Amino acid sequence: MNVQISRSLGIIAALYFTANFNAQTAPADTVQKEQKIEEVVMIGYGTQKKSNVTGAISSIKASDIENIPAGKPEQVLQGRAAGVSVVTNSGQPGAAATVRVRGITSFGAGSNSPLWVVDGIVVDNIGWLNQSDIESIEVLKDGASAAIYGVSAAKGVILVTTKKGKKGRLNLSYNGFYGFANASKKLDLLDATQYANIINEGFVNDGGAPRFSNPESFGKGTDWQDAIFGTGEKSSHEVSITGGNEKSTYYTSFGYFDQTGIVMSDISYYKRLNARFNSTHKVTDYLTLGQTFAYTRIKSQGISANEEFGGPLASAVNLDPTTPVVVTDWSMVDPSAYTNQYIIRDPNGNPYGISPYVNQEMTNPRAFRYLQQGNNNWSDDFVGNVFAELKFLKNFTFKTSLNGKKSYWGSRSFSPKYYLSPNFSNTNFNSLNKVDENKFEWSMENTLTYQNRFGDHNLSVLLGQGVYRYNISGGTSLTYTNLPIENWQDASFNFNIPQDNITATGWDGIQTRKASYFGRIIYDYADKYLFTGTIRRDGSSKFATNQHWGTFPSMSLGWNINKENFWPENKVINTVKLRGGYGILGNDEMENFRFASFMVSGSNYTNSGNNIVIGYAPSTLENPNLKWEETSQLNIAADFKLFNNFTFTADWYKKKTTDILRQVNIPGYIGVPNLPWSNVGDMENSGLELELGYKKNWGDFGISVNGNFATIKNEVLRLEDDIEYFNLASFQTMGAVSRVAVGQPYGSFYGQTYSGVFQNQSQIDAYKNTNGQLLLPNAKPGDFIWQDNNGDGKIDDNDKVNLGSSIPKYTFGLTINLNYKNFDFMMFAQGQAGNKIFQGLRRLDMLDANYQTKVLDRWTGEGSTNDNPRVTRNDPNHNYSWMSNYYLQKGDYVRLKIIQLGYTIPQDVTTRFGMSKVRLYITGENVLTFTKYTGYDPEIAGRNNSEQDIIGVDRAYYPQARTFLIGANIQF
Amino acid sequence: MKNKKYLYKGLAITFLTGLSFSNIACNDAYLDDVQNLGSFNTDLYFQNEQQSFSALVSTYDILRKYSGGFENSVTFFNAGSDDFFSGGGNSNDGAGIQGLNNYTINSNTIPASYWRDYYQGIARANLVIERVPGAKMSDELKKRYTAEAKVLRSLYYFELVRMFGNIPLILKSIKFDDDYWNIPQVKPAEVYAQIEGDIAAAIPDLMLTSSGNDKGRITQGTARAILGKIYLYDKKMPEAASQFAEVNGVPGGTSQYGYKLVANYADLFKVGPETTDPYKFSTESILEVMHTNKGNSDWGFWGQGKDEGNSINVMTGPRSYSLKNIPNNNAPDIYSGWAFNTVTVDLFNFMQGDPRLNTTIFNAKQFVTDGKISYSPAFADTGYFLNKYLPTNDLKTSLPGAAELNFRQNYIAIRLADTYLMEAEALGGNGARAQALLNAVRARVGLASVPVSIQAIKDERRRELAGEGHRWFDLVRWGDAPSKLAFKGFMSGKNEILPIPFNELPNTALHQNPGY
Repeated sequence: MNVQISRSLGIIAALYFTANFNAQTAPADTVQKEQKIEEVVMIGYGTQKKSNVTGAISSIKASDIENIPAGKPEQVLQGRAAGVSVVTNSGQPGAAATVRVRGITSFGAGSNSPLWVVDGIVVDNIGWLNQSDIESIEVLKDGASAAIYGVSAAKGVILVTTKKGKKGRLNLSYNGFYGFANASKKLDLLDATQYANIINEGFVNDGGAPRFSNPESFGKGTDWQDAIFGTGEKSSHEVSITGGNEKSTYYTSFGYFDQTGIVMSDISYYKRLNARFNSTHKVTDYLTLGQTFAYTRIKSQGISANEEFGGPLASAVNLDPTTPVVVTDWSMVDPSAYTNQYIIRDPNGNPYGISPYVNQEMTNPRAFRYLQQGNNNWSDDFVGNVFAELKFLKNFTFKTSLNGKKSYWGSRSFSPKYYLSPNFSNTNFNSLNKVDENKFEWSMENTLTYQNRFGDHNLSVLLGQGVYRYNISGGTSLTYTNLPIENWQDASFNFNIPQDNITATGWDGIQTRKASYFGRIIYDYADKYLFTGTIRRDGSSKFATNQHWGTFPSMSLGWNINKENFWPENKVINTVKLRGGYGILGNDEMENFRFASFMVSGSNYTNSGNNIVIGYAPSTLENPNLKWEETSQLNIAADFKLFNNFTFTADWYKKKTTDILRQVNIPGYIGVPNLPWSNVGDMENSGLELELGYKKNWGDFGISVNGNFATIKNEVLRLEDDIEYFNLASFQTMGAVSRVAVGQPYGSFYGQTYSGVFQNQSQIDAYKNTNGQLLLPNAKPGDFIWQDNNGDGKIDDNDKVNLGSSIPKYTFGLTINLNYKNFDFMMFAQGQAGNKIFQGLRRLDMLDANYQTKVLDRWTGEGSTNDNPRVTRNDPNHNYSWMSNYYLQKGDYVRLKIIQLGYTIPQDVTTRFGMSKVRLYITGENVLTFTKYTGYDPEIAGRNNSEQDIIGVDRAYYPQARTFLIGANIQF
Repeated sequence: MKNKKYLYKGLAITFLTGLSFSNIACNDAYLDDVQNLGSFNTDLYFQNEQQSFSALVSTYDILRKYSGGFENSVTFFNAGSDDFFSGGGNSNDGAGIQGLNNYTINSNTIPASYWRDYYQGIARANLVIERVPGAKMSDELKKRYTAEAKVLRSLYYFELVRMFGNIPLILKSIKFDDDYWNIPQVKPAEVYAQIEGDIAAAIPDLMLTSSGNDKGRITQGTARAILGKIYLYDKKMPEAASQFAEVNGVPGGTSQYGYKLVANYADLFKVGPETTDPYKFSTESILEVMHTNKGNSDWGFWGQGKDEGNSINVMTGPRSYSLKNIPNNNAPDIYSGWAFNTVTVDLFNFMQGDPRLNTTIFNAKQFVTDGKISYSPAFADTGYFLNKYLPTNDLKTSLPGAAELNFRQNYIAIRLADTYLMEAEALGGNGARAQALLNAVRARVGLASVPVSIQAIKDERRRELAGEGHRWFDLVRWGDAPSKLAFKGFMSGKNEILPIPFNELPNTALHQNPGY
């Protein structure tokens, strides 16, 4: 088999290069004026006229996104398509975005990210893609459309098509921008005097003595946010060259993107270099060969972007303002805390301040920066495909394509000896580490298309087959310790050090294979009655032999009513289409080999020679019955064109995922360390999606408006028998703050509720159950009046209730384009509503952590407030240590995301300089955000890749930057 | 047409390629031709001695539960006793250990690992017992491996039954198609009968004594000590005494298995050089849990199978400890820990005048008064810390793992002084042999004889074994827990056993223990 594969590959490659060479030498052709054709959309393994589409496909064209200064290409989808939620993972340069099509489809192991297909290549993300190279993006939202991708399609499919060459003269174009960014918001934190007073009050309220004898002596103290926030820069330069003739067309581009963060920009940056070569060659009238190839180099460094356990952001929020950033006045600090030889100093030789009160993971961010310098992550991605397309017997097309992605990535970091605080130091040895990983994935697909027309009957039949191999991967990690140097600039693996100081580990990935057959029939009668039927059969190596295969059918229908004879031509409703479909999709995302029992290493023990002996034991209980998770989706919709200038689309869907593949609870007495896998769990999403467009020109003035609005309702329907919930997000010593519970939306917040604040002791004494016992015997005036929600006469964990959903009920976006003569203006706003945010900015276990100024509205005596509790360190009533609605805020926001003004220099001027078009523009990004949320940013994604769907938990979030840019589009 | 040859070539190749791949795709073999690299299919494992040994190692791995991980049983049960408080950073630092300290522990706060980890050891032992006989290796080794697995399984069942009382007794591997949801709990007597029989039957197949890299394996001496202890808890006093007699031999002398009290009590808790540590596997050690810094243990797998450090050390160290810069400072150079298991004043007073006091208790209060050290008093601070496992800076690992997680002090779960006192107890606390056993324990630390009695044995156990994780079980066994632990909230008839962790109950046939 392998021999066959490699031989085929070899021949294809040879064929391709020969053809390419031939094409290059072919004589140039005359330019033909292209005919205006009806808009078509990509539908997966083909295209379709937009008017005949029966599924829910949102299409985004290059012109919609070419001037959006996004850091990552997927961010351009934000607010563009109803039902497609895009949440930027943080304001950190290079941060990806979490993209969800019609909500969270599953709560199994895999990501809920849609399937990304770039030029037919299935890839894990599109972060490597150059934004200017994108010709179009199609989101296949409904089951019937996505079904052609079968087992991988349950979470939606996003097809990205890159630009191809156009025949005609050589066309060189440049797009670029440069700008500055800063934080649009800082938190209102206590200054040093306020801080000292509040801390004193905490001691006094608990019956102790105040800590600070003279709070006023501290003055304003340190604003730690000033110590971390700065000005970031963002720039991008993209050059593309296209051209071709009758035989060959090509598209070549190069891009460079460079961004530094608004938080400590020397340790928070992202640089990307792209190159792309696409070409198509008509070898004969029958045979077309083509290829796409992209190379991307990324180098970046980042800080904790949403993490309560350390990092500059959490430190800046929690550090006390009485500690100086740099110690210059020794009377303000205790000198004995600054005796360690590995203490970090500023360029003047003064030590960075060490807080005597707030430590553990919280450190002076200026000193912390010193540890991070020189560390970086990098990646090299090579993505490409070659295809051959053969037309024969007039109506048949056979296409075979070979697709691949090879990635190398890794990191390099140096840890010097340092002493940032008694709890955060490394005084033993320095260490230099590098990680190198690589991954290769490839697939081959063959399709046969038959297309014909019999009178008014249009028929298109697709048959296809594919094989896929994923995760052919591995990596190594190497650490040198005790290098004879002191700083990162000198750190090198060239130093010869004793073998004992070298640690190395390596790993191999576990390969996954898939094989598929698929077919589709698209039929219409006179463009009036539309039918699409799809079936795909997929096999996956993740399941036992007798469970390999799954079949995924779908069907959709459409009716172009306005094409009926009875439909009177009118100026109110120009066109109407009704469409609907139903499809079943699959999901196999889970660990490999969970269908069988395996002995794995790691249950090790030590022998008396002080050496590790490796133990082998079964890791979990096998489950040979594992099978696909299935998502069925019903979509009903209508498309209108109204008053000649308006377009309106309404989609309603219901998506139900059953047999969710996840790790389930089993009794501990079975005696395996890991939970086994099973098909247990159901969830449903339903929603309404509206898209409205308006376009009109009056002479020199043109306007276009596109708005979209979507609702979503998510409900968990089933977990294991007798299990009503499992915990989701947790926060420090508070424990779980949200959970996945039957009958509730995924990730609902869950906790206690209070009805107010006890104003005096007699209220506490009167707060009794029916037996006359005090409900809150530990309470003092100023503490929360916790509610006995279950009415059992005591207040405990059983009184917790659902406190709201982390999933926005509504998302919306609005784009307005205006142009007048040579000026153009664009405004884009997006937002969400109906969700809650948990604000976990202050560390609970650090009693001396700084507060937001909200604490100044605390309860201070009878009648002072009924909303905020008193300050207390011991917190006997759990005002602060219990999860409650006190920590939740509304997450509604509307953000003016992009505002852009452009001017195109008149062509008669530019042609004199050999340029066909020159457009200059200024852009503002994240200009204004309307929200009542008091944290840095209401757009809060999960804290890392494995917690992407645990949203709305603010652990000191890296805010998105407000950026102002100038840019130019130049065409030669 | 000059490109015609490409057409034919292209045609041929596209079809050839298509066909060849279709061929592959048709076949389930294509999908099955992937490998779970780095692991072995359980059905195909147990081919030879090496594989059998690795499976046996995983059975031993669970011994680490005594002293490894945050949820180790020594600090946990110390916190439940009258000798120690929970300690820790604050009253929320470890819901389980705090709950046992004040007897608010419930099915939600008890860490599930106390239940689950021992069952993992049992499942691994079951697999060894079932599958080793089919491996290609000598019959003698097969018998020995199986016997070791049976003793370990019995030990793990003993730990479960004395912690939880009512437990399922599972003696074979569970497969996916077994009805594993409906396994009932059995009476403690049934567990005791099974494990007493298993150990008794296994003893002849075990090594008499161990040497070299086999040190730490279950030998006949170890098995008899475990069996004697099990009999003692099962109130089978004559049987217990006879097993202990085999282990102990002549009080103060060297027994048939080479056991002998070490001359210097403090040596039991010393740590030597990394390479050859003379304090490990002393003649007094009967069941020793091994730790090393070579696992490079890190926070990511702390308390799991790969973690090989002793966690009692860092847990019992005072917080933010530092030596004052004064001449001739004789205070120990302690690595700052987390201040768990602060010593009760009651124990401190009880040990006054005892030669073992300073080995057992670190009097931080006194060093502070003398201006030699400073530390941050944490939760339930008394100024006294458990000295037997205090982490000192010279014991910090020299390897890349986190210092906190890579202390290499072994923990001795059963030592000869313990079996001496258990035998004396099994003998009813009277008679010449009981007196001799008690005398030997006292004589080792230079104490004169006192008349033997159950009370004398109880007092001696408290002083000799303080902080080694035995006191709570002793109090419960003697029926003294309700009175001695009343100040902590111990409820008679309830707290003698622990609640079964909540997540173990849904969908099973298990019943929660009474009172929880």
